[in-house]
Amino acid sequence: MKTLLRNRKALVGLAIIATIAILAIAAPLLTEYNPAARTGRPHQAPSMDHILGTTRIGQDVFARVLYGARTSLMVGFGAGLLITLVGTVLGIVAGYRGGKTDEVISFFTNMVLVVPNLPLLLVLAAFIGQASPVVIALILGATSWAWGARVTRAETLSVKQKDFVKSAEMMGERQWRIMAFEIFPNVISIVGINFIGSVIFAIITQATLEFLGLGDPRAISWGNMLFAAQKASALSVGAWWEILTPCFALAFLGIGMSLLNFAVDEIANPRLRTGNRLGRWSLLVRNGEGRL
Amino acid sequence: MAFLFRRLAFYLAAFLAAATINFFLPRLMPGDPIQLMFSSAGAELPPESLEALKLTFGFVDGPLWKQYLTYLGSIFTGDLGRSIKYFPLPVTSVLGHALIWTLVLMGTATVISFILGTWLGVMAAWKRGSRFDVIVSVTSIFATSVPAVVTSLIVLFVFGFTLDWFPNGYAADPSLDPAFTLQYIASVAYHGVLPMVTLCTVLIGGFTVTMRNNMINLLGEDYIVMARAKGLSDRRVMLWYAARNALLPTVSSLAIAIGTILGGSLVTEVVFNYPGLGNVLYQAILARDYPVIQGQLLIMTATMLVANFIVDVSYVLLDPRLKAA
Repeated sequence: MKTLLRNRKALVGLAIIATIAILAIAAPLLTEYNPAARTGRPHQAPSMDHILGTTRIGQDVFARVLYGARTSLMVGFGAGLLITLVGTVLGIVAGYRGGKTDEVISFFTNMVLVVPNLPLLLVLAAFIGQASPVVIALILGATSWAWGARVTRAETLSVKQKDFVKSAEMMGERQWRIMAFEIFPNVISIVGINFIGSVIFAIITQATLEFLGLGDPRAISWGNMLFAAQKASALSVGAWWEILTPCFALAFLGIGMSLLNFAVDEIANPRLRTGNRLGRWSLLVRNGEGRL
Repeated sequence: MAFLFRRLAFYLAAFLAAATINFFLPRLMPGDPIQLMFSSAGAELPPESLEALKLTFGFVDGPLWKQYLTYLGSIFTGDLGRSIKYFPLPVTSVLGHALIWTLVLMGTATVISFILGTWLGVMAAWKRGSRFDVIVSVTSIFATSVPAVVTSLIVLFVFGFTLDWFPNGYAADPSLDPAFTLQYIASVAYHGVLPMVTLCTVLIGGFTVTMRNNMINLLGEDYIVMARAKGLSDRRVMLWYAARNALLPTVSSLAIAIGTILGGSLVTEVVFNYPGLGNVLYQAILARDYPVIQGQLLIMTATMLVANFIVDVSYVLLDPRLKAA
């Protein structure tokens, strides 16, 4: 955690995410408008009354983007947590147990990896119909764990060979205890990278699904704002504020998350830190097969 | 060879999995699956067509396994049913036509961004810590972290609407007849610029970062030190010792990335109103045209598997150890 705070990329990333989170929480204090209600005439340009203008049906864009941040953050972190949980458990179990268990889990993992994710999600969401943010988070969790399972398994395979695991086995520790208390703390950096990556993926994918018209249109979220704006041909009629506002919000959050992602990556894999000397590298343990 | 055969068997299993999802999904949903799948057809479909459509999707009398086999039978004979929105066109021809546009767009963008991104990654890793590296890395981070929807919309807004340099939609001037004339090809190229630029922006950063990180990991290896100690030129060490080996994991990451590329290209097509799979799919979603929505999963999975197989083959060519195995 300390190293994280000393990394400049991590600091900027955290600051961006914190800003968005604070704005989302403080939404009722920052705007008097109800994000779902018509509060003005349609497609009004930004003014003192409506700082970011209004949508085609006269909703306040600023209020919608603030409240929409709540949805994006909640789906992002909720689905991210779910994806990481499933991936980590499967990865550690497959890597540690080995044998038949590993074969079965690895086969499914690889299979999920080659079935393209977005088309699969589109089919799922289309059949579920008007998926609410919670449902989107759930189907993301159910379909997107494969990458995490794969890297966690690879990492588990190398940790498994370490002496402290062997000694725990000698002492007759139960398997689940070894997996939870010996293996898990030692693959935590991979789990962290997986978590941040999954949050980014979930935020982007939720917005994409909603943009394609598969979300519940009543939910207030950035993806739905884009969908509504696109349907109202906001760009053609010159209502750029309706479309650019959620665009910049998504871009901002994406950049913040990615900066954090790269920072954690650098900390977990010190060779990636720039400005290192060859001598420092040689001190590092050679990375094993399957390491990212 | 054994390696490639094993991969082929695996791909068959993966395709079967996608088909199985298609089969069970409507049956798992609450309510009547036939009603669910074909309710959007309304009165537009003649009854005998509806019967044929039910047969294609395995809605026959009999136990579930018989229905499943019927469905698999129609898929493996290339019958994906008929589109409801574009009735009476079969799904395969609706999607097949769109797939060509998508593949051209996606393929060109992937090749351009792979070559450019890899090259930038090699240079950034070689000069790690320099201003060049910082600029390339930070730009890559920004470019990859912005969702494709957002990149597409911003590119469309800036270059399509505000500057008005390029057309805002379609793959070619609608007034021209599709033919191999210079005029038509020029129009296609002109219309393709914005979606292409968008896709490259979305893709290039990923390749750059992967290549840079692989390179930096390799630069600490003994054989690199050895190559330098032998007094080989920088260029030779960089390209033939480091970059050549760093390319291997990059190629395998390309295989995983193809799914993402497909997704990005879908979204870009919707924004630019490009007649590829993305747009067809968007229309199908709005019209609840389930045969098309299901068909795209199969076609996309097949595309992805073929792409993976090409990557496998190139992997064998790049890594001599696999040829021996």
